[in-house]
Amino acid sequence: MKPHRKFAIAMFLAAPSFGPGTVAAAPTAETIEIEGEVIDTWCYLSGVMGGPESVTGTAHHTCALWCAAGGIPVGVLAEDGTIYMVLKLAGEDPLAQTDTIMEIQSDQITAKGMHYVRDGVNYLVVEQVVANDGITNRNHNDFGVVPDFAIPKKKN
Amino acid sequence: MKSSLKTLIIAGIVSSFFSPFANATDFSEGSKAKKWGLTAEEKALFSGKVVDVLCELSGDCPDNCGDGLRHLGIVRDADGKLISVLKNSQAAFNGVTDDLLPYCNKQVDVDGVLIGNEEELNAKFFMVQRIRQDGRPKWNKTREWTKAWKKRNPDSVGKGPWFRRDKRIAKQIELEGYLGLGKVEDEKYIAENQ
Repeated sequence: MKPHRKFAIAMFLAAPSFGPGTVAAAPTAETIEIEGEVIDTWCYLSGVMGGPESVTGTAHHTCALWCAAGGIPVGVLAEDGTIYMVLKLAGEDPLAQTDTIMEIQSDQITAKGMHYVRDGVNYLVVEQVVANDGITNRNHNDFGVVPDFAIPKKKN
Repeated sequence: MKSSLKTLIIAGIVSSFFSPFANATDFSEGSKAKKWGLTAEEKALFSGKVVDVLCELSGDCPDNCGDGLRHLGIVRDADGKLISVLKNSQAAFNGVTDDLLPYCNKQVDVDGVLIGNEEELNAKFFMVQRIRQDGRPKWNKTREWTKAWKKRNPDSVGKGPWFRRDKRIAKQIELEGYLGLGKVEDEKYIAENQ
């Protein structure tokens, strides 16, 4: 084999995968349908309250309501670990002061909408919640409630 | 050394220059951000333009970056990356739109922390702690959220933090409980754990 051909093959094998948007790439857009849990992206990505499994589901439901009302981006966590940042929900902007985004916190949903990828981040304009199975991730017996003051203590 | 091994080594060195992580820029110089002990946390001070994220991606561009109803981001000057901003500097579950909105489509300097495991996520996310319009000396701390919430919720008076008094939150908790499974499950959990 000629050296330059060998080099080209070696480059192909050694090169990292260039995912969409890794370096200031133009966004791509396509309609997709995804299934996943609606999550609070800050607590999930930052680890501020513990590992990712503890800041989902029933354990973190109240905090997810706080963060959604607080204007922190809501995401959909797909089974493969991809997080889709929700930029619109059924025609509403994410910070509209309505109940729409509040009602789906921690739910397992199937969402259809326009998917954009830029600089490694996945964004989703949810046109329709095709299915909603409610909260299926019942993890409060594993982690308690996170944070531990989510449920106010009863006064004696 | 065999020529095929040499070729692989050279290819590895060359390809490393194109790796999305090999040349990750360090933006920490000059930063006065406070660390919070977060996942893969890095201080970061950089310049860029505040944008409406959906406008930037799709061309759907309402006036004034959505007037507080949309998520805003920063297109960083150094590399053109759209930085997803999750949080302001306040500690009580506060987003950042109220802090970024006055700078809609303006050049700014921002100081804060980048978080998240880039090798897993292919991106890092930002908490902006202070901001100033490009060229101006005065930094502003990003703590506008609580004031804006009070304006949006003039009837939510009383004691306690905002998240105990917010009507939208209270409505959901009334409907589905703290665990999201209804009041019976809440009572069971409380009886066993409090």
